[in-house]
Amino acid sequence: MNNPDLLVLGGGPAGLCGAIEAAREGLRVLVVDEGISPGGQLVKQTHKFFGNENFYASTRGMEIAGKLLKELSLYPQVILACESSVLAVYPDGVPVLDRRSDSTYLYNPTRLLVATGASEKFLQFDNNDLPGVYGAGAVQTLMNQFGILPGKSVLMIGSGNIGLIVSYQLDQAGVEVKAILEASSRIGGYRVHADKVKRLGIPVLLNHTILKAIGEKSVNGALITALDERWRPVPGTEREMVIDTVCIAVGLTPSAELVAQAGGQLKYIPELGGYVPLHDSDMRTTIDRVFVAGDVSGIEEATTAMIEGRIAGLNIVKDIKGKCNETRLEELKETLSAFRSGPTSSKIRSGLEKMDLVTQPARYVEGEVNRSGEFRGKLRPIIECFEAIPCNPCETSCPVGAITVGENINDVPVIDYSRCTGCGVCATKCPGLAIFMYQEREDGMALVGIPYEFLPVPEKGQSVYATGRSGEVLCTARVDRVTRSANKTNIVYLTVPEELGRDVRHIHVTNREESSLICRCEEITVEQVKKAIREGYVDFEELRRYLRVSMGPCGGRTCRLNTLMILSGETGVPVEKLSPGTLRPPAIPVSFGAIERNAKVTHE
Amino acid sequence: MERIVEHPLLKFERGEKIVFYFEDVQMQAYEGETIAAALHANGVRMLRITPKGSRPQGLFCAIGKCSSCLMEVDGKANVRTCITPVKEGMRVRTQKGRGEKSE
Repeated sequence: MNNPDLLVLGGGPAGLCGAIEAAREGLRVLVVDEGISPGGQLVKQTHKFFGNENFYASTRGMEIAGKLLKELSLYPQVILACESSVLAVYPDGVPVLDRRSDSTYLYNPTRLLVATGASEKFLQFDNNDLPGVYGAGAVQTLMNQFGILPGKSVLMIGSGNIGLIVSYQLDQAGVEVKAILEASSRIGGYRVHADKVKRLGIPVLLNHTILKAIGEKSVNGALITALDERWRPVPGTEREMVIDTVCIAVGLTPSAELVAQAGGQLKYIPELGGYVPLHDSDMRTTIDRVFVAGDVSGIEEATTAMIEGRIAGLNIVKDIKGKCNETRLEELKETLSAFRSGPTSSKIRSGLEKMDLVTQPARYVEGEVNRSGEFRGKLRPIIECFEAIPCNPCETSCPVGAITVGENINDVPVIDYSRCTGCGVCATKCPGLAIFMYQEREDGMALVGIPYEFLPVPEKGQSVYATGRSGEVLCTARVDRVTRSANKTNIVYLTVPEELGRDVRHIHVTNREESSLICRCEEITVEQVKKAIREGYVDFEELRRYLRVSMGPCGGRTCRLNTLMILSGETGVPVEKLSPGTLRPPAIPVSFGAIERNAKVTHE
Repeated sequence: MERIVEHPLLKFERGEKIVFYFEDVQMQAYEGETIAAALHANGVRMLRITPKGSRPQGLFCAIGKCSSCLMEVDGKANVRTCITPVKEGMRVRTQKGRGEKSE
């Protein structure tokens, strides 16, 4: 294929969508990609996407890649070439290096779609090139694409959506995130993403940055500091952290060099990440035959990249065939505008205005979404989605139509509890994991359903730590049931005291304590005590007689309180209401001989 | 740096087990992995020594953009190991400088 109708540079979300639109109308398309497999950065996005279900919302990024590739494979006149790097764009052709054969081909396409994505921004601090200092994308590649842990203990720099998402993903893979540092005074990413990492107990240190990566050949620590309001280090606040990995998530910058080589004009627009190719709403650059889509046209996210790719693809069809599906093109442009009309896109809007692409902000509803008090006792979702973000899978997934996002996709959802059946589908669908199930019971306890994407998944009846919004342990709780979901967002239902029900937002499952001792003298383990309680020994004296816990030489000084606390945790009865048992003599170990022998003298 | 065995969302379908050599030390990898990923799985983070300051550097972007992972592969220098698949019997060396032959 020396002269394809369309040459697409980059097989990520934007490039694949552009190629699909062109291929659907019969154009001969060549897609070249640098990677060893296509899909761009989608293949390492394990989280569910925000947005509209018509555009893959609530689907995990890696699954979207598969769907796009499958769609593209329907068209025999499309070639997808991996391990192929574009060397330049010259007036007389585009040389592409096939790295497998280490040779180049020169292509002269009728139209060019540049969808080359972005590269990581690099942050300046001492030793910032030490092995073990990674861009956030590299951490995702190692961990989510190849299943290799980047380290054991990570310091994340930056609290934008990428920093928050990658922190969450690290925790899912079992890597400790020591802290997320944010130079400014507020978290950059979506509130639902921030809430997700906070309830794992990952601290977000605002007004903080890294000064130095410590280590000789690899990172083994970091020096961090607090910053004042003008982002200057505050003397005396420096401290060292023991970590083996620094992950930089301070943003991306468009990979626009090939557009520039094609003669396209670039403009520095910081809101869009740096030098951006000027383009119109059809995604055409200042050079007629060259289009852009996705992050290269301004840093945004994968959903908008896919819509932009389709818009570019349709316009390329129009250029070559004289017409395209105009209705569809208009719909795509409207969807894109709606997506960008909310408050979290204000930066994108002001960036796009600098190239005369105006998107009107929409009116949106933000704030209190739960008025569930009057439905006390009914199993129902509590929606903690207070920030206007472009997303509506809760609305589209509800089988009884009880949830409404409304006209603007950025609006926060409103739920009609009188129609809700408590099925919990919305909680498994919500990309922000911001929907919890809740039901007050008559015994003073409440049932809380938590969206859970971690291992191990607890069993019914198992005791876990119920944790709060900052990861703090609130109580131990019994797992009532676990509903498994095909999309792997399982819902773990717990019973907790009602006064804690509105605060419990995560669980901590630990098996480490099971083999640890509770009673040193009689060598009784935590697991043995818990097992006995489950068998029905729910009184301290019963446990003591059954297990011999607290019957050893120490007389229960070491284990009595711990046993009572386990009993309380397992039964839900507060310690003060449990009987501590009888404190029997002798108070210390003593031989019968000593008791039998009368001392010659009394104490004086 | 170890391989993930169990993950709440992901199943890693790894290819055939192969061997490659890093500085003449035999290491294991799976077909379909990049050289840089395979090295990480074997605990190797330092991929090159810079030409001017002799600074150790490793993976930074992992998608072929930053050129921080340049290594010598089968005698050829300046290979971006983050986007090059590892192959059976491949001989990989830390790149020193701009790619002068190591031996």
